[in-house]
Amino acid sequence: MKALTSIPGVPPLIACFALLVAWEGLARLVGLESLPTAWESLQELPAILRDPRSLYDILSSVRRMVTGFARAALFAIPVGLMMGRSRKVAAFFNPLFMMIYPVPKAALMPIIMLWLGIGDASKTLVIFLGVSLPLIYHTYQGSKAVGEKLLWSGAAMGMSKREQLLRIVLPAAMPEIMVGCRTGLVLALITMVTSEMIVRQAGIGNLLFNSLDLAQYSATYATIVIVGVLGFVLDLLFEKARGIIVGWADPVHQIAVGSA
Amino acid sequence: MISIEGLSKTFDTQRNRPYLAITDIDLKVADGEFVSILGPSGCGKSTLLYIVGGFVPPTTGAVLVDNKPVEGPGPDRGPVFQEFALFPWKTVLGNVMYGLLEQGQKHKDAEARARELLAMVHLSRYADFYPKELSGGMKQRVAICRTLAYRPKILLMDEPFGALDAHTRVRLQNDLLEIWERDRKTVLFVTHSVEEAVFLSDRVMVMTRSPGRIKEVIPIDLPRPRRRAELLVDARYQRYVVDIEKMMENPVDEVAQA
Repeated sequence: MKALTSIPGVPPLIACFALLVAWEGLARLVGLESLPTAWESLQELPAILRDPRSLYDILSSVRRMVTGFARAALFAIPVGLMMGRSRKVAAFFNPLFMMIYPVPKAALMPIIMLWLGIGDASKTLVIFLGVSLPLIYHTYQGSKAVGEKLLWSGAAMGMSKREQLLRIVLPAAMPEIMVGCRTGLVLALITMVTSEMIVRQAGIGNLLFNSLDLAQYSATYATIVIVGVLGFVLDLLFEKARGIIVGWADPVHQIAVGSA
Repeated sequence: MISIEGLSKTFDTQRNRPYLAITDIDLKVADGEFVSILGPSGCGKSTLLYIVGGFVPPTTGAVLVDNKPVEGPGPDRGPVFQEFALFPWKTVLGNVMYGLLEQGQKHKDAEARARELLAMVHLSRYADFYPKELSGGMKQRVAICRTLAYRPKILLMDEPFGALDAHTRVRLQNDLLEIWERDRKTVLFVTHSVEEAVFLSDRVMVMTRSPGRIKEVIPIDLPRPRRRAELLVDARYQRYVVDIEKMMENPVDEVAQA
């Protein structure tokens, strides 16, 4: 047993299997129509994944998520870096962000829809907001923590302030930025689904709630499984990328919900 | 030549009460001279070094390097810090090459120079390691190489061996002397170890307790090249150490010499 659990990838598989068994058992025990068994739900998966319409839904969700995430990164990382290096910039942005941070981004959806309509733009903006704030926060922390001796070492080589920001602060803050990206990734997934709950046009959220409306409960659960697997796979890819990008860092930034 | 003239530094503290860190510092350091700055902790000896480096502006007075006032950091003055300050995302080789590439050297030339320096401090095997994989002594040797790489005329060393264990410290002192005896850079060396200062320096500048003033500048008249084993049994060396230690013990130094 000990040898088995030490193989990478085995513990998560065991956990997944245990979850499925618990679900199956609970469903059988309760016998509710709205709680289909794991087996029934998983059987719906091939049908969903073969249906072009639902595939389109899933892909358009992922596309929006990637767009929202990328734009958030392009905005949040420079802002966070500058906040960390300039007290004035921090004093300006900090109260602003602290006010927006606790507001559930999906709650802004109705207002955003009034501005941008019910198309992609609104949903992408909500994802953008959801990802930006934690990413700004972590980038800010990382940038603030860069030691002055590191900057002085660069300055003595003849680097300008601007070069120092790009070539010392950015790489030195990268481990913390990656922590922000990780949180941002989870929030992107959440805001993606919730935005689609409110604007039900296309996407995984649409898929989920349509099946719920039609009382196709096993399809609903299968969709939830898809969202979960999506999250898991994205996280796995992210961890791989993180290992490549900040492999040089001390593992102090290990995140609790680590995979692989 | 470094010329420090009427230098003082006042910091604004949190409670808006200005704090005078150093005052009335006048010192001339000749080219190729090794001068240590010795003083109790908190006497502002590091601050003095940072001002010479151009990292911190003085409140009054000026620092001239070859008759030009220092207005900011520059590659003519290479710092080495107690906390190493290596770039953690760069390998050992990448760290040593960094300043050379920054100055527009060709990659091939920069690498050749970096490898040569690493060989000199016996770290060739570790060229592809990241700083986190090295011990403190190795990190500091890399940091010294990184600074030597871009050939500063002046080395500014801020308690460079302060974070190392006694054994490593002695090794690095020997390494530093060897390097210095080879190319005779001007060195300003901040330390709180009397033995270290006497062992390495041409002159030792002793500072008073805060606010830091110059208490005395002592020429160390010991022959070079210096070898540790010979020096430790040398009566003159012992005399210097004892005298300076006494000088440091005596706290009656609040009154500036009139």
